[in-house]
Amino acid sequence: MKHGMSKLLKYEFRKTQASKLILLGLTAVAQLVFLGGLFFRRENAMVTGALVLSFLGVGGILFIGLQSVLTLHRDMNTKQSYMLFMTPNSCYRILGAKVLENGLSILLVGVFFFALGLLDITLLLSSYGELSQLWTFLTDLLHQLNEDIQLNAQNFAAMMFGLIGSWFATVMMAYLADVVSSALLGGRKYNGLLSFALFLALSILLGFLQNLLPGMSPERIILYFMLRAITSIAFSVLIYFISAKIMERYLSV
Amino acid sequence: MQYDANAPIWLQVMSSLELDMVTGKRPPGEKLPGGRDLAVQYGINPNTASRVYQELERKGLCETRRGLGTFVTTDGARLEGLRREMAQRAVSQFLSSMDHLGISRTEAARMILEEEKICQT
Amino acid sequence: MSDVTGKAEKNTVPGTLESRDITKTFGGKAAVDRVTLSLEKGHVYAMLGPNGSGKTTWMKMAAGLIKPTSGLILFESQPVSIESRKKVAYMSTEPYFYSWMSVSDVGLYYQDFFEDFSYDRYTVLLKKMELEETMKTTSLSSGMMAKLKIAVTMARDAAVYMLDEPFNGIDLLARDEIRTAILEYATPDKLLLLSSHLVEEMEAIADRAVFLHHGRLVESVSLEEMREERGLSMADRYRQIYGHGEE
Repeated sequence: MKHGMSKLLKYEFRKTQASKLILLGLTAVAQLVFLGGLFFRRENAMVTGALVLSFLGVGGILFIGLQSVLTLHRDMNTKQSYMLFMTPNSCYRILGAKVLENGLSILLVGVFFFALGLLDITLLLSSYGELSQLWTFLTDLLHQLNEDIQLNAQNFAAMMFGLIGSWFATVMMAYLADVVSSALLGGRKYNGLLSFALFLALSILLGFLQNLLPGMSPERIILYFMLRAITSIAFSVLIYFISAKIMERYLSV
Repeated sequence: MQYDANAPIWLQVMSSLELDMVTGKRPPGEKLPGGRDLAVQYGINPNTASRVYQELERKGLCETRRGLGTFVTTDGARLEGLRREMAQRAVSQFLSSMDHLGISRTEAARMILEEEKICQT
Repeated sequence: MSDVTGKAEKNTVPGTLESRDITKTFGGKAAVDRVTLSLEKGHVYAMLGPNGSGKTTWMKMAAGLIKPTSGLILFESQPVSIESRKKVAYMSTEPYFYSWMSVSDVGLYYQDFFEDFSYDRYTVLLKKMELEETMKTTSLSSGMMAKLKIAVTMARDAAVYMLDEPFNGIDLLARDEIRTAILEYATPDKLLLLSSHLVEEMEAIADRAVFLHHGRLVESVSLEEMREERGLSMADRYRQIYGHGEE
């Protein structure tokens, strides 16, 4: 029933709404500081704005992942758990909504900051002619050193997807570790330690698998990162099914 | 309504309804609350409430008309019989209390007449 | 054992809740210990026993929130499942709503997930309980929270209502309101199961009592029969069972 899934998704988004609004608000302020600095030629303000924006972009994506792990933990281990598990929804659906919400959030926030970054760099270059020359000089230089390296948007986008994919997979590993901790190890000794060890082992496994893929080379930058993104997502899907199965069988709330 | 939890609750609710019938609080022919309403009004289990009506009907004190509800009987003789029965019960209760206190029947009767005289003056 | 652990039979009995030799252990300790119990529609059951006697655990297994260690728990002769959650309403003792919710959010949440939920009925119940839709759940007193839980649970048109400690921490007047709400929806096609420490509170509204002790079933009795035949109230029997040391 798709109906139930959309309701679950709605409430998962509702749970992270506040922090996303705060992130958006902070970003707006930093962006205004940056733009103000740009138009009134106040380098200090401009640099501060740009720094805070980069911090918010990276920090925001990290925070959204961490928050979703914390939410999952609360939804399995506090009284709040009844809200989800009393509804006529399977664990596959309940966890699926969480995975989707988180994946979409990370992706959207990533794309948003990427687009904002592109916009800001374009504005910067067009407003500071001398910087634009420096930029052209740098890319030309790189191009002369190695014909295949290009500082262009496509390569950056590929890199971003690769990194976002890896982060998403990391969040999913934390999901599985938390599910195992809540459903199987609840109340046992070394619960935290064991589930952390599981998390590490999964990270190492994914790293090992991805090292089997073709390495990075200048002419294959896009392929390299896209392969990483795809394997990360495939690994995440596998982990999702395992986690949901464990919840379905063993989780008591 | 407060109940004595050691005695059947249907009996207590039934006695309360019977008292209402005899005292005219629920006059002959009046519609009685439906089973569920009775349960809510008296704060009792719905099964207990339907037991109350079963017993009242068995005693001929109320009648159920299909689709209309349950009504207090219009049979005056039955109601009079109920009044007698309740009075009889009160008397035997009184007498058993007197027995308990070691007061003879004659003495008890004298006391009742005495009490009446005091009231009249 | 095959009749106990085997698949449930096909002929379903509407509105029944049943456990067969059910056990739930937590860390080696049995919270519910081989309980075989059958509950039928048209009754209000009082589930009694001191703390730790297994009431909540049994209810949570019937609600599908806890998986039994062994044995079967059946709703309408089928193992409790996601499907049965559509017809079995469970109210936990503790407040469980999300902190961002207002009273109306709670209703909308139930409406989103339960087909048998009626927002109109919810509004009626809220009015009776003197609760406003705009109130934040975080600002409710414990008595108001208890009433809200009852209102939202009883606004479902479920086959089974399991209310864990509905009278806990509530003043006398609120108890009357809750009792009325319970009785109004206790129709012959419903099964109500209430647990409470406040035994006297349930003498008149329940017609059957289930006594649990240390996770075991002591007995399941008809209250009016017990009064008629043994002259015992539910409270008397409670004292007999749990009063002086172990039974």
